[in-house]
Amino acid sequence: MAASLLELNGVRKDYRIRKYGRVVKTYNALNNLSFKVEKGQIFGFLGPNGAGKTTTIKCITGILKCDEGTISIDGENIEYNHFENKNKIGFLPEQVGLYRSLTAIETLQFYGAFYSLSDSVIDKKGTKLLEILGLGNSSEKTVNEFSLGMRKRLALATALLHEPEILILDEPTSGLDPRGVKALRTLLLDLNKDGLTILLSSHILSEVQELCTDVGIINNGKMIRQESISKIVETVEKTAIKLSLRVNEFNNESEKLLQKKKGIEIIEKKDIGKHKTIILKLKEDLIPWVTDKLVANGINIFSIEPQNTTLEDVFLTETEDENEA
Amino acid sequence: MRLKENVMFVCGKKWKENYTWQPLFVAIFIILIIATTHKAHWEMTTETNPLGVWNERKIVEHDNMTTITYNDETLVNKTTTFKGVLEIFPYTNTSIGSIEQSKGTFDEMDGLVYSEDTYKKCMISLNGMRILVNGSLEGKFYKNEVVTVDASLVEKNYIYERNGAAIKLESQIWEAEIDDIALADERDYYFFGVEFIIFAIGLYFSLNRIKNLKEQIKFAKHIAMFEFRRGLKTPRMIVLGLIFFVFIVGMGMLLGQLQNDPDSILGTMTTKGSIVQLSYFTFMIGSMVAIGVSVDTFHKERQENTMNLLLARPINRETIVFGKALGLTLVVGIPAFIAQVIGLYFMVTRGEMPPIGSVFAFLFFGQVMIFTMVTFQLCLAISARSGSSVVIYGLSAWLLFALVWALVVIAMATVIGVDINGENFENDPDYQQFASRIGLLNPGVIYQMVVGLFTSRTLAVDLEGVPGWLALLSVVLWPLMCLRTATWLFKREMKG
Repeated sequence: MAASLLELNGVRKDYRIRKYGRVVKTYNALNNLSFKVEKGQIFGFLGPNGAGKTTTIKCITGILKCDEGTISIDGENIEYNHFENKNKIGFLPEQVGLYRSLTAIETLQFYGAFYSLSDSVIDKKGTKLLEILGLGNSSEKTVNEFSLGMRKRLALATALLHEPEILILDEPTSGLDPRGVKALRTLLLDLNKDGLTILLSSHILSEVQELCTDVGIINNGKMIRQESISKIVETVEKTAIKLSLRVNEFNNESEKLLQKKKGIEIIEKKDIGKHKTIILKLKEDLIPWVTDKLVANGINIFSIEPQNTTLEDVFLTETEDENEA
Repeated sequence: MRLKENVMFVCGKKWKENYTWQPLFVAIFIILIIATTHKAHWEMTTETNPLGVWNERKIVEHDNMTTITYNDETLVNKTTTFKGVLEIFPYTNTSIGSIEQSKGTFDEMDGLVYSEDTYKKCMISLNGMRILVNGSLEGKFYKNEVVTVDASLVEKNYIYERNGAAIKLESQIWEAEIDDIALADERDYYFFGVEFIIFAIGLYFSLNRIKNLKEQIKFAKHIAMFEFRRGLKTPRMIVLGLIFFVFIVGMGMLLGQLQNDPDSILGTMTTKGSIVQLSYFTFMIGSMVAIGVSVDTFHKERQENTMNLLLARPINRETIVFGKALGLTLVVGIPAFIAQVIGLYFMVTRGEMPPIGSVFAFLFFGQVMIFTMVTFQLCLAISARSGSSVVIYGLSAWLLFALVWALVVIAMATVIGVDINGENFENDPDYQQFASRIGLLNPGVIYQMVVGLFTSRTLAVDLEGVPGWLALLSVVLWPLMCLRTATWLFKREMKG
């Protein structure tokens, strides 16, 4: 089994509202949060708004300090040697703030100096990274002249300049055009192939499903599920799948009939021309029962199509369950 | 019991949290012990309250005799070492008129009858106590210097005239030889020297405990140079820098002219007074530029999200604050230094050369003052939650320190009962003492004090109620405190 590159253990983080220097209110952002990211993974960090994703990332990157718990990189608590450990992290924030008066290459020189890289090394590596990220022709332009997407790519270049062991991306595709999204996706996969571990938070679940090997779902500051994507989908599928039926008619009687049976849920009914489409959520072994009953009631079934469970379904199920609990 | 345990627990926790600074805390603790010993040394070896002794003096006037005596008879013919401040310039007989006029004049305060005998002697006032010195102190000691005097209480008899009648005066007066007077700084320097060495050792060991110190220093320099290059190019700095330059150079020329123009409606300036005044003008405009340049440093970074990328780097928060403070100080400090040198040049060419120590203090502590104002503004910029608050805080600080301070002091003096209704209340010792002491809360006043201090030859000087060493300590502590507060506020943000 691969060693954990990043490990959070019982992390708690409260935000304090101060008035005249005194804490007047405290909001809990992370509560006993624990998870691991193994070497070589692309770890998708999912959660609804306000779940604590950005706070977690800020704690890992040292922008915020957690109140309780430990964050370790390569088995070493980041508190004890943050100089060495921060050298292992590359970070791309959601809202990229770069000094507008600097050119792209000056930006790389500014941030690269904090990793004890010489100007010549920065120039060499930086030029190569700018080429890869499609900014080769803009190295002498000031950040002020850059679009949001270009700034994001430049910030990514600053995150990769020192060849980190783990790249942490907070909503990396927000603000990028489709071409930029695709290029970024390809780049991240290439970097991962070269051994870079990636942790990314995203709202775009299809992107996470396509890109990530593992996923963690956070809600209300707690990790509610962490597994490989394939395992998560498999588990949900064992519980219930979606079934799309195209039929000639679907009246109230038929609906009552299906609803009587335990374990079947009608999710959607749509009219498509002369036909109707019904989407059901049910256990796999109930499919024959459904088709038998419908046919017995004189309904013609034109197609039966089981739908793949998406990460979105898992995400919604998990976060809904958590909120209900 | 539980409270005691809680206090011990909190102290222990804080002590562990400040592992890096433990040697410095130990050093400061030792310094406090030495400072207490220093104070105790003076108390045990000298009489530090000459005025208290002087107030025990009794003057009794009879028909044909006046006696001036002390209650404590054991003092007579005994040498006592006094430590105090030379309140007025030591005056000789000539200061009360010509030798003819002085013959036979009885001075109740001085406790003697001036005559040819006293003509070559001088009278000093040590914290209000009069001591007759056998010889002239001209050029040997100066006003406000802290000295020790080995004085003896001797009984003298004089005859003086009152309403045509000869009156006998039996007076106990304090007398000393010139060699009995010494600056108090010699022994002070031993104590200060040891304290400085202990502080340096504590600081050395604390700095050694900072992980990756060399890298952090390099990073601080990197941020400082970045801020410097960026700051110099801002239109704000160009405008403020120009105003600063014209103002300081112009004031230097004016103060030089005032030294040689007795008819000026602005009054005549002494050489020493000129450089102190120029330091005020430097503070007035320098603090404005320092605050103006650093007004929105952290707030703007927070708004533009540039800070997160920096914080994710392997750099300490202290390094970020120190680097920024250093860079902004260079932005203001280098043009300020050039303007100060040119202003000083015009002042010297039109007037006279002030003591070299004061020139050094004017230039060096000018940079310290700018650093202080920059770090002070950084504290405000970190604390403020909106752009308008940052500007209001900065402007208020500048107005308070540079423009309305005198009014604030007058208001405060009134509140605590210092009489400011008199015509010359500014020369009232009580008011001066209050103004000087409260001035330690204003970096500008401290800057002037230190420049004034360096016009003297010693640190053993009383600056109207504030010892010279305290002014010097304040000028060092102010920037350190501001820097510490700024880093503390900045680190507090990390806690969320």
